[in-house]
Amino acid sequence: MSLIETAPRFAVSRRIYNDENIHHAELERIFRRSWLFVAHESEIAEPGDYVTRRLGIDRVIVTRDEEGGIRVLLNSCRHRGTRLCRADRGNTSHFRCSYHGWTYANSGELRGVTFQPEVYGRDFDKSRFSLFSPPHVDIFQGLVFACWDPEAPSLLEYLGPMAWYLTTVLGKFDDGVELIGVPARTLIHANWKSESENLSGDGYHTPVTHATAFELGLFATKSDLELLGEVSGPRFTGRTADCGNGHTMRIQRLPLNTPRPAFHGYPEELWEQIERNLTPAQVEVQSCLSVGHGTVFPNFSFLENFKTSVDGPGRHARYIRITLRYPLSATLTEVVWFGLRPRGASEEWQRLSRLGYLRTNGPAGMFEVDDLENFVSISQAHEGNVSRDFDFTLEGGLHGQAAPAALGWPGDVVDGDRTERTIRAFLLRWHDLMEGNPSQSQSVTVSHGR
Amino acid sequence: MIPALQVPGRWGVPERDFADAMAHAEASAFLARESEYMDSRRFSEWAELVDESFRYLVPVPVTPDNPLSPPFDPECLLLDESKASMIQLWFRRYEKGMYEIAWGENPPVRLRHFVTNVRVRGTDDENVYDVRSNVLLIGVRQGDAPAFLSAERFDLVRRTDTGLRLLRRIAILDETLLAFPQVRAML
Ligand code: FES
Ligand SMILES: [Fe+2]
Repeated sequence: MSLIETAPRFAVSRRIYNDENIHHAELERIFRRSWLFVAHESEIAEPGDYVTRRLGIDRVIVTRDEEGGIRVLLNSCRHRGTRLCRADRGNTSHFRCSYHGWTYANSGELRGVTFQPEVYGRDFDKSRFSLFSPPHVDIFQGLVFACWDPEAPSLLEYLGPMAWYLTTVLGKFDDGVELIGVPARTLIHANWKSESENLSGDGYHTPVTHATAFELGLFATKSDLELLGEVSGPRFTGRTADCGNGHTMRIQRLPLNTPRPAFHGYPEELWEQIERNLTPAQVEVQSCLSVGHGTVFPNFSFLENFKTSVDGPGRHARYIRITLRYPLSATLTEVVWFGLRPRGASEEWQRLSRLGYLRTNGPAGMFEVDDLENFVSISQAHEGNVSRDFDFTLEGGLHGQAAPAALGWPGDVVDGDRTERTIRAFLLRWHDLMEGNPSQSQSVTVSHGR
Repeated sequence: MIPALQVPGRWGVPERDFADAMAHAEASAFLARESEYMDSRRFSEWAELVDESFRYLVPVPVTPDNPLSPPFDPECLLLDESKASMIQLWFRRYEKGMYEIAWGENPPVRLRHFVTNVRVRGTDDENVYDVRSNVLLIGVRQGDAPAFLSAERFDLVRRTDTGLRLLRRIAILDETLLAFPQVRAML
C-alpha cells in the first residue's frame, strides 16, 4: 500500500517511524528539498560570529561574514573533506583546516593553500574551491533558514500564511527577541516526525499526557483566572490554522472576557508594544493566549506558553521556545532547544519567564518528560516486524468542523483544538514530497468534511 | 555571567586550600546520605537535608572554541530549581494518586549516583563549606541499556545545630549532546 491513504479512511503506515529505508528517502526527498531552520540571527550578531549546526544531517557552519551577510557553509574542507570547525560557537574571520592548512574566509572563499607553488603550482585557481553552501539562505523574523534545492520557492512563498502567525510570536516587540545563551541539545531514541506532529497542533494529548501539570497548578485554575479577569466559561477554547505546505499552528485561549487586549504573562510595559506592532487580527491571536504552537515543515517548531505558578503560587509567566530536530536515523533524533526572550524586558521578569520555560517546556521540564516517553515508545513499538505492517488511523476532527466567523486570520482556520487535522496536514505534505511531488500545495482542504 | 556560576578556582576566581581530613570525612558521609535518599526516592528525607534557600543550577554545556573558556554557557541554564519547585513539580509526581498519571515517572528511570573525589574548602562564612565532587550518574529506563552522565559538582554546605544542609548545587556537565533518558535529574 501507499504509506498514506486518505480514502476510504485516513490511514498511515506505522513503518514511517521505524524504517531506515524510509529514513534515507526522507533525507533525499524532504530534507534536501525543504527550507530548513539553522539559527537565530541573534546568535551571530557580530561579524565573525559563528555557530555549528546541521541542515538535515549535514554539518554546516552558520556565520556572519565581514560584510555583515549571513553565510551557511558546509563544515567540510574542499581539500580532503576534514571537518573545519569543531566548536559549537565562536568568532573568527577565517577557518583553517587542521589537516593540510587550507584557509577559508568566513564568506567561504578559499584564501590560502599551504605550500601552493610547490604542491599545486602558481596557477592553481583557488576560486574553484569555495566551501560548498546551499543556494538559498534567507531570514524571516530573525529566523535563519537555508535550502539545498535550487528550484525552491522563496522563503516567504514557502512559509505562506505561516509568516503571519510567526510574526505574532516573534514580531511583536519593539526590539525583537534574542536567544538566551546557546541552545541545549538532547539525543532521543525517537523518530523526528513524532515531535513535529505533536507540536503541529495536537491539543488532544494535553489533558492526558500532561495530566499532572493540571494537578500541580501549571495550567490556570479557576481561581487563577478570576484574578486575571472576568471568566467567560469553564473551558479553554482553541483553534487550528492550516497554512499549507505542511505548516500548521494551534492557538489556545484562556476563557476570559477582557475590555481590551490582555497579554497575561508579559510585563505590562510590553503590552503597548504588542498592540502597536501587530495588526488587530494578530492581536486577537495573542490576547489571552494560553498556548500557541506550530510546526514549520519539516523539523522546526515554535511554542509560546503561558504557565501559572511556575515559581510558587501566583507567579505566572509566558515564554517562547523553538525546537529543531536533526533526523539522525529512523529512531534517533537530536533535538536542539532555543529559549528566547524579548529584548529590553526587566531582569526580574526574564528570570521568571526562564523559570517557566525550564520547569515546563525546557529540555528538563515536566511536560517534556511526559511527551518524550510517548515519542520514544512509538519508535520502540515498531521495532516489531509484524507491527510495522499495520497502519494507524488519523481521523480526529474530520467530522463537523466549524470555521469561525470571519476573523481575518490567514490559512484554513477551524474552531476547536482537539483535532488531528494539523497532523494530517503535516503528513500529507510529507507524503507529497516522498512521492516525488514537490509542487507547492496550498492550504490542504482534505480535512474538510471528509 | 550568572553570578552563582563564578566558582572559586575556576575561570580566574581564586580559591582556598583544602579543609582538614575530618571535614572531608563529614562531607563525604553527607553526600553519600544525600545520594542514598535520592536514588531510593526517599524524597521527604532528602528534602530535610536541603536548606530552605537551596538552588540547583546546571548551565547548558558547550564546546567552546578554545581550551581556556568554560565548557558551559555562563548565561544560560538547563536546570534552575529551588527546594519548593523540586517538592512541588518533581517529588509530588511520585505520590499515590499522582504517579498513575505521571507518565514519565512510571515506571521511573532508575538512577544510581557514584560520587568520588570529594574536596572540601572553607568559605568566608565559617559555617559554610565549599564541597566539590565528581559524579557519575547512571540512568536506566525500562529495559533499555544504561545511560551515563558525568559532571563536576560545586556544592555549598552549611553546618547547623542539626547537621549539614545543602545550600546550593551547581553541576557542570561533561557531555554537550545529552543522551540520558531524562535530563530532569538531580546530579
Ligand atoms: S583536508 Fe583540509 S587542507 Fe587537507
Ligand atoms: Fe505535550
